[in-house]
Amino acid sequence: MKRKILSLLLAGAMVFGLAACGGDSTGSAGNSGNEGDGGNKGQAGANGVTTDDITLTFWHYEDPTTIDYLAEKFMETYPNIKVEHRVIEDMSTDLSNAAAAGNFPDVFEGTDSDTALANMYWADISEYYDADPENKNLMPTIEEYGIGCFDTSARYAMPMVYWPSAIFIDRNVIKTLNLEMPRTDWTWAEMIQLIKDATKDERTGMKYYGLGYYNRLDSLYGIAACSPEERALKGEFGYDGTDFDLSYWAVGEQEFSDLKLAGYVAPQQETAEMEAWSGNWDTWFGATGRVAVFSEGFWTYQNLWGQEGYQEQYGLDIVPYVTPNVIDEKEHNVISTMYMGGVSTSCKYPYEAYLLLKFMGWGIDGWKARLEIYQDTSITNESGMPLKNAQMPMPITLDQEIWEGYKSLFPQDDRKPYWDDFFASVTRPVPYGWYNIAGYWNFCDQYFNKIGIHDLVDAGSAKAADYVDEATRQANYHHAEAMISYFGPGGYDVLSEEELAQYQAVVDSFLQ
Amino acid sequence: MKNEKKVKKPKVKLGKLEKREARAGWLFVLPWVIGVVAFMLYPLCQSFYYMWFNIRITPLGTKYIPVGTGNFTQIWLENPEFPQQIVTYLWQTVVEVPVIVVFALMIAIMLNGKIKCRGFFRLIFFLPVIIVSGPVMNMLVSEGAATIPAMNIQSVKSALDSFLPHSMAESIGELFSNMIMILWYSGVQILIFLSALQKIDPALYEAAKIDGGSQWECFWKITLPTIKPMILLNAIYSVIFLSSNEQNSLITMIKAAMFSGTKEKGYGYASAMAWMYAVIVTLIVLLFFLLLGSKRDIYDRQVKRHKREMKKEARTVKKIERRGIRNAKKIQKARQKRNYRTYDGSGDY
Repeated sequence: MKRKILSLLLAGAMVFGLAACGGDSTGSAGNSGNEGDGGNKGQAGANGVTTDDITLTFWHYEDPTTIDYLAEKFMETYPNIKVEHRVIEDMSTDLSNAAAAGNFPDVFEGTDSDTALANMYWADISEYYDADPENKNLMPTIEEYGIGCFDTSARYAMPMVYWPSAIFIDRNVIKTLNLEMPRTDWTWAEMIQLIKDATKDERTGMKYYGLGYYNRLDSLYGIAACSPEERALKGEFGYDGTDFDLSYWAVGEQEFSDLKLAGYVAPQQETAEMEAWSGNWDTWFGATGRVAVFSEGFWTYQNLWGQEGYQEQYGLDIVPYVTPNVIDEKEHNVISTMYMGGVSTSCKYPYEAYLLLKFMGWGIDGWKARLEIYQDTSITNESGMPLKNAQMPMPITLDQEIWEGYKSLFPQDDRKPYWDDFFASVTRPVPYGWYNIAGYWNFCDQYFNKIGIHDLVDAGSAKAADYVDEATRQANYHHAEAMISYFGPGGYDVLSEEELAQYQAVVDSFLQ
Repeated sequence: MKNEKKVKKPKVKLGKLEKREARAGWLFVLPWVIGVVAFMLYPLCQSFYYMWFNIRITPLGTKYIPVGTGNFTQIWLENPEFPQQIVTYLWQTVVEVPVIVVFALMIAIMLNGKIKCRGFFRLIFFLPVIIVSGPVMNMLVSEGAATIPAMNIQSVKSALDSFLPHSMAESIGELFSNMIMILWYSGVQILIFLSALQKIDPALYEAAKIDGGSQWECFWKITLPTIKPMILLNAIYSVIFLSSNEQNSLITMIKAAMFSGTKEKGYGYASAMAWMYAVIVTLIVLLFFLLLGSKRDIYDRQVKRHKREMKKEARTVKKIERRGIRNAKKIQKARQKRNYRTYDGSGDY
């Protein structure tokens, strides 16, 4: 009997070990030694920067060699400040572990703002940002749309890494198919027409596809959908700063899925379709020389097409185009990847941390340092790649000198006019939802991705329009709930009574 | 005798050597005790506490917002994935554990036989335990190494789907998709069976063979009853392994919830999930315990019956002895009173 009891106890111990694994093994958090905003500034010099010897930690997603050089430059300017940095592998895991262990970074950039806001990782930096004259010369949407303010009166974050969405065209394919290159300030309809015209299946050799995509067209269309007079779209899914309207997204989603179903879109890598088309499972459509238009991340040019000899090797001649607008408007918003960065609430030296944040992100001094290392192609990262080909972002400052230097990093031959037009048309970035809309990720997690709308519409088994009403309702609810939670009394507590009541009304109407 | 008080054992003071031995014993188990307290009991209590809260770990400290049973209701009512995964997990475990145990037993019997390069084959079958862990396992699965290429999994799944409930068909289908992986999970079980098989007295087989027992009969009447406790042990080990390895989607879900930065999830939510999961795993362990541990085997029963009969016989003998003594006393008394006579041959009774 004793043996039985013992064996049962052991089995029980093994089983409940599972529950123990589910919990926290790091102990309760509590950075009791850290101070919040306006904490210990120590002895400040004439420029307001502390004269104490301090260490600031910076966690990021960039190339570590680039940040090594930038950190050195920063430390040259501020010799009493030591900068330590590391690359974030998984934002939620790394940061929640750091918070629990009490070694939270002073400055960090993130790819998901909901995580940072829900856990109050970012401190209010409005005081420093507003007092900084350099910030008056940034891309206008940052101020106009309050990018980094999350629809509050305070600023919690700033775009650190900026990559606009871009359309690339292979001139060789256009030439082979006897088509005309479109004008650089083209419209959405012109792009769709080009995609259709450039799809040719002559039954001999590989088929030509009109479009190869990394970014789905519905994401781009969500911002390009209408004039500001009709609805000022400040974010994905028809977000106008107050609420969502997914009817704009639905048009783009359906149009993109129809293109896929009609065979205008090249197969993705590692699919049976790709193997059938190119004869190789691993082929990437961007290296086939059989695709005319690419909806790609901007970094694809620098990291691949922009590498020396790459285009020659695959017979490509790639030029950039701005993501077109539905209406023929020269200056329009462009959906963009924007990693947001901020100073952490536990930082003891918030002003110095703000200076570091600015230097690493949008500051002119930081960009001057960046241009130096990007222009010197002898400096390479661990993979032996010149740093301009390793995740180089685009400046958000409008400083002329910086832009001249930046443009010089791109082709200066007959492709230069395309690049100039492209750079001139990406000055109104709008970040993807998860960077700048509170509750956006919750909406995707709890509703949009869960029911797999993209797959259903792409397979032709559902119409995007069927989801508009429910998706809009869900998006508004998740946003309102997140606003109350993040910025209400349980969070940063910066919302007025009136704002709280408005958000609460949305939540209540959803729950009824 | 009945009224006789139970004699207390006298307390014996431990000698120097015994004390030293006791200390050494404690010293040996101390790392385990520390491990259990620090890495099991403490986190266990902590996670039990956490599950009643919504926990936000901010850089300025941890915020505990009491939610009562809110985490549980949220998991069951607002997270349709968890109940779905639980059902799939239940089916999978119930189907996969017997497959693993039976496979392990078969291999162990083969490896216990007289074959060439036995040591090498034993190493081969144990190798996956060492190699296939964590990221290596994930990579192998993503490369399709877990499936049997010749097997048309889709056809098997659709065939199962046509006559079984979807969740059940899905789980059995998964068994076929992960067949190789499941067989790789058998390394430790093979070792346990092997050691059990080696402890069976060869005289039993010899005797059985003399009596004309076939291999088949020897397996069912000698091997299986003898290693039955090991079958239970292996079944429990397999349940625990399947429930806690990295391939388990519930573990992935709990981990994701634990590190999720969104306000709904976090440590509290993950702890509630983990506890519910632990209860379900306990129920499965109990199920296997009831199936494999409750009944005694035939040999055991025969031995017990024989012992019972021996005891009964001893009681009867004692009873007869007592009766004989009583009768002898009675005769003695009667003789003393002279009213006891024995037959003297006179014909007068």
